[in-house]
Amino acid sequence: MAVSCKKPASYGELRVNICYSVNGKALITDSLCYCNEAGNEFLITEIQWFISKMELQDESDEWVAFEPRFFYIDTNIPESQTLGIDSIPVGKYKALRFVFGLDEDDNRTGLFTDPPESEMFWPDLLGGGYHYMKLNGKFLDAEGRLAPLAIHLGIGQNEDHSQFYQNYFTVELPIDFTITETSENQIDLTMIIDNWFRNPNLYDFNEYGSHIMQNQAAQQALKENGNDVFRIGKSTDNENNTTMENGNRFAEKFKNVMQKAAPKPHFWTWKSVKERMGSPVGTTENRQVV
Amino acid sequence: MKLNKNIALVCGLFLVLVSCKPEQNHYVPTPYELPQPVYFPSRNNIPADNPMTEEGVALGRKLFYDVRLSGRDGTDGIRSCASCHHQENNFDFGGSAGLHHSVMPLVNLAWNHTGLGWNGGVATLEDMVFAAVTSPVEINADTNQVVKYLQKTDDYPELFEKAFGSREITFINIQRAIAQFVRSLVSADSKFDRYLRGEEQLTEDEMAGYELFCTEEGADCFHCHGGGGLALMTTNLFYNNGLDDEFKDPEDRSAVTGSHRDKGAYKAPTLRNIAVSAPYMHNGRFQTLDEVIDFYSEGVKNSENINPLMHHVMDGGVQLTDIEKAQLKAFLNTLTDETFLNNPNHSKP
Repeated sequence: MAVSCKKPASYGELRVNICYSVNGKALITDSLCYCNEAGNEFLITEIQWFISKMELQDESDEWVAFEPRFFYIDTNIPESQTLGIDSIPVGKYKALRFVFGLDEDDNRTGLFTDPPESEMFWPDLLGGGYHYMKLNGKFLDAEGRLAPLAIHLGIGQNEDHSQFYQNYFTVELPIDFTITETSENQIDLTMIIDNWFRNPNLYDFNEYGSHIMQNQAAQQALKENGNDVFRIGKSTDNENNTTMENGNRFAEKFKNVMQKAAPKPHFWTWKSVKERMGSPVGTTENRQVV
Repeated sequence: MKLNKNIALVCGLFLVLVSCKPEQNHYVPTPYELPQPVYFPSRNNIPADNPMTEEGVALGRKLFYDVRLSGRDGTDGIRSCASCHHQENNFDFGGSAGLHHSVMPLVNLAWNHTGLGWNGGVATLEDMVFAAVTSPVEINADTNQVVKYLQKTDDYPELFEKAFGSREITFINIQRAIAQFVRSLVSADSKFDRYLRGEEQLTEDEMAGYELFCTEEGADCFHCHGGGGLALMTTNLFYNNGLDDEFKDPEDRSAVTGSHRDKGAYKAPTLRNIAVSAPYMHNGRFQTLDEVIDFYSEGVKNSENINPLMHHVMDGGVQLTDIEKAQLKAFLNTLTDETFLNNPNHSKP
């Protein structure tokens, strides 16, 4: 009988805290206080999205996968904002990666039968599976009216639905993180919402409209912008002042991105918006352009 | 020999003891197997303290249809659950019940996790039974009186014993039995279900209607009312759908959440059997499916509170042509489940 001399691996737990920032501040829902680079003033009601296939890269460049395979995250469900991962081998890790949304291996109708995940279904006629993300809110349209905004990402299609496009993407972020045998290991993962709308593609709500499930050009633009949306750390106040816990540090390569000045948000009430209806709203004088 | 005598004595004593033991309670109910249709959620809302049993469902069915649930005799406003929940109308009223809000259907509620009623303010079916029995505008009964009344009947004590192990009737067991029966009301055999199961094809118009139903550029119904990936045909969530632009109803969703965001929001009802569930909307404003489709096509009103999913509101609605409206209606008609509407297991016993 062979007896292994290898020391048994020890494991720790990791908690990934999901954060959201807009213009360098923590997200405030239902407040018409944001402006994107295209000059669209907007509010966000809720964000519902999937992360899948999360992995950590160890010092020997091996990617370590772990369960669960899918995380549903919903700003309406506070407990969904913390992703709990058990049984990660202790040690140092230098990168985190995950699939934003669900890839073609997983994204099949019927994967989730129970709410809230099942409420993310993406009709089979449009490619099937599930929304990667629903970002719902409102914006002031070109005529100054408060219009619905439903930025829903998922499988794209051509005009006659004869061809489908996978719009998920993989996010890879450098970290400097050590998993210990405690349950105190935590990192913050921030979605920088304004970055969905600016780099490399200027995303104008008036151009792409309030709904985009059947607009592959919009899906593609957001997919490309998505590469600059996620950060390790809280990424609020301004991006230089990102909070890092448990000894994590931003990678040097992101310093230039972080040093952009954060614009000052301003608040409008619905009453003030209604008063302004019928007259041009969002002129260059009163717009806060990022 | 003496030893044998002693053994016989001991055995005799044992037999006497056994024969003198009080009669055992033989309460052994039969578990009820809730159907699990294709694409339905795997997680149901059957509470741990009210598991479904054949006996409990049967008792609940009898109570559901029995005007003695009013706890009084005569014709003085006696009612049962079935007075307002008609099987042929999807256990909906099928007309104006004279209530502040229209009656909601009782279908597939075993998979509802978001409360009951248009604002979701009633947490469980058991609670809903209590609310309906005691409501002055519904059954208007006194629970103590109901219990006393049913206890005196010839039939109910035995049925309660079979269902719950005691001939003593309690109101909580009345609630539990009716809730069990309502959870047994499963609709999953419409033409659309058979299409999902690969057993039947939709017609060209029905298919065109389904495409409209499931596309943002079409009628855009699926976000709130499901489809192939959400076969309950509802998310069971709450939306302001642009029916009005002023909100004065003290019983909308905001009454439950306290959130200004939920002003004018109500539960999206299931569209299963929608063709037989008129009138429509929380206040029964529309009498026909055509009126409903016209509303979503060109009658949606914008407001601060309208849900972002109503993203066609800037055009007044989804702007369907007459042909598209007919196609959408054809699809909605495929959600009618005649098997359910005529299921003898759900009718008056």
